[in-house]
Amino acid sequence: MSGLADLSMIEAADAVRAGNATSVELLEAVWARMEAVNPVLNATIWTDKEDALKSARAADAAVRNKAPLGVLHGVPMMHKDMYYQAGKLSTCGSALRRNWRPTITATVIERLAAAGAYTFGGLNMAEFAQNPTGHNKTFGDCHNPWNPPYITGGSSSGSGASVAARFNYMALGSDTGGSIRLPASANGVSGIKPTQTRVSRYGVMPLSFTHDNVGPLCRSARDCARVMTVIAGHDPRDPTSAREPVPDYEAALTGDIRGLRIGVPTNVFFDGADAQVIAAIDQVLEVLKARGAIVTRLTLPMMDAVAAYGGIVSRVEAATIHAEWMRTDSQAYGVHISGRMYPGYAIPAPYYVEALSRRGPVLKAFAADVFAKVDVLITPSIPTCLPTLAETDIDHGPPGTETKFMAVSANTRPFNYLGLPAISIPCGFDPNFCPIGLQIAGRPFAEARIMQVADAYQRDTDFHSRRPPVLKD
Amino acid sequence: MSTLLTQTEASILTWHNVAAPNDPARRLAAELAFTIAAFEKLRGTLVFEDEPASFEAALQATKETAP
Repeated sequence: MSGLADLSMIEAADAVRAGNATSVELLEAVWARMEAVNPVLNATIWTDKEDALKSARAADAAVRNKAPLGVLHGVPMMHKDMYYQAGKLSTCGSALRRNWRPTITATVIERLAAAGAYTFGGLNMAEFAQNPTGHNKTFGDCHNPWNPPYITGGSSSGSGASVAARFNYMALGSDTGGSIRLPASANGVSGIKPTQTRVSRYGVMPLSFTHDNVGPLCRSARDCARVMTVIAGHDPRDPTSAREPVPDYEAALTGDIRGLRIGVPTNVFFDGADAQVIAAIDQVLEVLKARGAIVTRLTLPMMDAVAAYGGIVSRVEAATIHAEWMRTDSQAYGVHISGRMYPGYAIPAPYYVEALSRRGPVLKAFAADVFAKVDVLITPSIPTCLPTLAETDIDHGPPGTETKFMAVSANTRPFNYLGLPAISIPCGFDPNFCPIGLQIAGRPFAEARIMQVADAYQRDTDFHSRRPPVLKD
Repeated sequence: MSTLLTQTEASILTWHNVAAPNDPARRLAAELAFTIAAFEKLRGTLVFEDEPASFEAALQATKETAP
């Protein structure tokens, strides 16, 4: 049975379609794996096997009856516990929503279901998607499958840990400042933050109206590509979603990156980077050059503006969303959650409006300069070796812990303000045997391009297919 | 306690009726001095645009055209 849990998402879907495995067998396999390893990881908030078995049996009946099958037919999965499913629990990782059940279903959940997938639980996450580490006061911290005292990254902590520990074929995460890419990096899986507006956010818990993104965490870039083809595209229920046509992302994964121009920033993204991380990125560049890519070092423009403006937008928006609870029940939040939201109330409206009104011009200036020279940017997802949960625990740590905590997301936040797509894939290990992540970013709507680069790299390396030590079978 | 922090706490309480929930909140509020400095640094570096400065339009204007 554990062999089935080790399949990638696409392999699992193919196995069901070909009749080599049933959906019930897939569910039993990941369930058994979850029972074996999750007591160490704490990656789930709730599970529902009975309902999932009904879906699995229906999926198997469809195969037997030769019904039309979607590209994810019969694949069980769990998502960050903030994707609404009408009538089902959606805690958003907080005591304030411990028993909350929405009355609507997220568009992305409906699209995955239309492709044949179903859910069997909700995953641990940072409270209201508001930290880059995986701490959670209410449901307990999520632990890294490669080395449990270390952070999983957040806020999609359970998404990263469950996919890495192979009891989940795919998990949706959300990314407002790095919350898909950070757990992808820390857990050694692949996770993509799409272009702002690329994927519908209807029925997804909001954190920041302008910076929130929906995307998958998977075992490989190819799995990400299949999910993106299913979930991307305009949604009338989310008027902010783009009308841009959705390509077949999997078809773009040709492995051919000859002549591709790769840019490596000389400013910001390697500030304070650890030697092991720099060495891992250098190795990545050698692999990609061997496939015909051309590497250029360049200084990125506008980074002061990106940092200043990007630094306030989500703080103001989160503070606004949470104002009533912050007035009436602020102690229900973790210290690091309420503590970080609080200054958002003091940022003047003209600063916020300036940050929003400059977003377009800053993106234009950045893109005109950078993408005239290169096609994609490559950086570390996290510039340092992974910290422990204890080292980044603001709630119980000494003053100054905030600095270490915020440093985790230094390299991911800029692409949220710019709205650019970025993927994180594994590219090495630090001295504590925690994964190192490679971030690849591109122009707006260049998801196909960045996944093509990621896939090309994964054709020549095996970091994405290694098993974490928590798996003893 | 710095003047900025004192003013900030009073302002938040006045405008939003939100009290500082803990010490990290006060420390992070004091760090708004860095935000002010960052915005000061940008003054004069970006000029007002007469054209609509829509972010969505910028995404379209700078998007990938060939995979």
